[in-house]
Amino acid sequence: MTEGLIWGFVYPNEVEIQWSVLIVLYPYITGLVAGAFIASSLYHVFGKEEIRPVARFALLTALSFLLVATMPLLTHLGHPERGIEIMFTPHLTSAMSGFGYIYSFYLVIVAVEIWLSFREDIVKMALNSSGWRELLYSGLALFSYDISEKALHEDEKLAKKLAIIGIPSAAFLHGYVGFIFGGIKANPWWSTPLMPIIFLMSAIVSGIALLILLYIASMKLRKHPIDHKCLESLAHYLWVFLILDVALELLEIVSMKYESLEEIDIINRLLSEKIAFTFYGVQLTLGILIPFVLLLVIGLLKNRDTLKMILISISSVCVLIGVFAMRWNVVIGGQEISKSLSGTLTYVPVFFHPEGVLPALVIMTLPFIILLVVTYILPPWKDMEEETTQMGSILKKKS
Amino acid sequence: MQPHLKRVIILLVIALIAFIFIRSLIVPDSFGQYGWYRGESVIDNRNLQVGYAGSSSCGEENCHKTIYSIWVGSRHKAVNCEICHGPSNDHVNNVRIMPEPANESREYCGLCHFERAARPANFPQIDPETHGENLRCAYCHNPHKPWFV
Amino acid sequence: MKISRREFAKTGFRVIIGAAVSSTIIESIVTNSIAAEVSPGGGYDWKEHLWGYVVDTRKCIGCGRCANACKLENHVPFDEPVYRTWVERYRVLKDGEVKIDSPNGSINGFEDDIPAEEIKKAFYVPKICNHCEIAPCVQVCPVGATYETEDGVVLVDYDYCIGCRYCIQGCPYGARYFNTEKRTADKCTWCYHRITKGLLPACVQACPVGARIFGDLKDPESEVNKILDKERINVLKPDLGTKPKVYYVGLDREVR
Repeated sequence: MTEGLIWGFVYPNEVEIQWSVLIVLYPYITGLVAGAFIASSLYHVFGKEEIRPVARFALLTALSFLLVATMPLLTHLGHPERGIEIMFTPHLTSAMSGFGYIYSFYLVIVAVEIWLSFREDIVKMALNSSGWRELLYSGLALFSYDISEKALHEDEKLAKKLAIIGIPSAAFLHGYVGFIFGGIKANPWWSTPLMPIIFLMSAIVSGIALLILLYIASMKLRKHPIDHKCLESLAHYLWVFLILDVALELLEIVSMKYESLEEIDIINRLLSEKIAFTFYGVQLTLGILIPFVLLLVIGLLKNRDTLKMILISISSVCVLIGVFAMRWNVVIGGQEISKSLSGTLTYVPVFFHPEGVLPALVIMTLPFIILLVVTYILPPWKDMEEETTQMGSILKKKS
Repeated sequence: MQPHLKRVIILLVIALIAFIFIRSLIVPDSFGQYGWYRGESVIDNRNLQVGYAGSSSCGEENCHKTIYSIWVGSRHKAVNCEICHGPSNDHVNNVRIMPEPANESREYCGLCHFERAARPANFPQIDPETHGENLRCAYCHNPHKPWFV
Repeated sequence: MKISRREFAKTGFRVIIGAAVSSTIIESIVTNSIAAEVSPGGGYDWKEHLWGYVVDTRKCIGCGRCANACKLENHVPFDEPVYRTWVERYRVLKDGEVKIDSPNGSINGFEDDIPAEEIKKAFYVPKICNHCEIAPCVQVCPVGATYETEDGVVLVDYDYCIGCRYCIQGCPYGARYFNTEKRTADKCTWCYHRITKGLLPACVQACPVGARIFGDLKDPESEVNKILDKERINVLKPDLGTKPKVYYVGLDREVR
């Protein structure tokens, strides 16, 4: 049954690959969350005005993906009904035990952050609507309707503090996932101290790319002009983090090959035979080299806004595919080598399977549906659509 | 502090208390008894059912004394009864529960005795192609006393 | 004195919260103190023993009776590629290639599909969970569903395991597997239900040539200690720092 898929010698118990495409999805989703949040922090913490149009939208994106993050895990567990044990008796020597508290803590931070930045709008909507809408918005406002200067100022102060705490929390939320792999000495493809930071860099890159695509898509759907300054600023940050990301990923491979430990033979076989295409082709070339070049070109173009937008979109799509390939190469690639270091296996994803491609696709579409609902309840559009009017009024003041 | 912020804090505190309360109900009592695990699990693992009784149980009572005394003095004395006759603890406790009949095929004896390259040279092995035609080994060798000893 | 509704609500709220918090705290203190420092279960005191295992690869004949007995004793599915113990065959060929295999964990024996003339060196290596002193599988379990007992045996709590399979990923020796019936992780228990009653693990009892030896490391007269004191001993993957308690005699450099 599995004979053709095995090369060399694998331990008898390794024949079944344990972590499927769903486990590839989990770091991908939390990566998008962390990345979107960091992008939002560029405005909320570091005061980068160009990011302001998408800052609140980024938070909503982070929330939508965060709400779906537990789904691939619960679907994978042998006993999902016992999943709550991770919250009740976390075994702190295990990186995975951090999941419950880090996730909950981070969810609270993002939720409160969104609440604080939207509170003025919530209260206004509560006061100006009726029926179930009034009930919904009054509930969201926690039945407190004070939107005086003083109240809003306090909100802003607290929001900034939360955003500052949010950055290391986002780093933890995704860094611990990297450590889940990086701390496993049994698997030479996983075991490296660089893993948490590699995960984090590729997370930020994927989050920014997602934000870019969602922003362009939303503005196109709402038939509104795009703020190109904001878009180019995001593209610039994407480019910078891409460089950091590739530096770390290459450092890991170069270091492994240079030290040439016992596992080098099987690692070489993994890279040249099992994941050659997904690693060199998708992760490095499509996911990093092509966007790097395109974004570099964008920096040299002047006034070709539409062309730049197209190139930025293509780069973002490439980055998103490349980061998925990176997660795939880590999770699946690591299981395709045997711990005997003398054999390889092959992961064959099945479409109709509880842990197969179909549930993965369903889980990946859910955050977008949630985002639609969330942006309907808490519309961030005026940030993006007032910008041009604001620019107009600033220019008027100057003249 | 603004009242709306106080309400957020109250909500979080209520959630925390509910969490602590539910946790005290759900986490098993013996958890943490000896370490970061459920103490009762050790007892559960100890109380699993035993399958193999051991050869001495076969010869002990007035059950299989004769065959036992032949076997225990033979070259097969290191091959326990249950290797060929299967796990028999249930049978020891209730004689009506019979274990699986012994596998008398040539291939079963061959699991140990067919010549294989990786076997230590001093272990008794035969070439299945040339030894004993295609007969069952028990045709010539008594499984309970396979050799002259 | 008239108390306003607000005051009443505030006080009542505080009383309820206080009662809930203090009752949960008291309950957890009480249950933990009842669990005394006593060995679980009567008769057997786990503090008196530290179990150890020796494998003498020079004696193994690759009959697979150990792997078979283990599956029967512990109800491990026969129709799935899951093993608590198995035997590997190593054949070093004259052209330098090393062929390693373990067909069905050795349960049906081994076929010789390479002519003897081409083989330089060949031997069998029984494998089993090493019940490491510093077990990486215990370290990575997120909920505390696997643990090491005081007598040195690493066990799984089948009623608590959530089936995340992190422990299976963490074991460097491939000793763990996912039990599809229980939907939890599973592995060799050194037949804990047998050794705590003075019996031997099923695999040790089944071995017809004495390649597997089990005993108490705390007993200086035990066979395992005698072997450890006399023979040249090694363990699998010592560089990983897991401190396995399965000691090998005659471990060749080719063994993975």
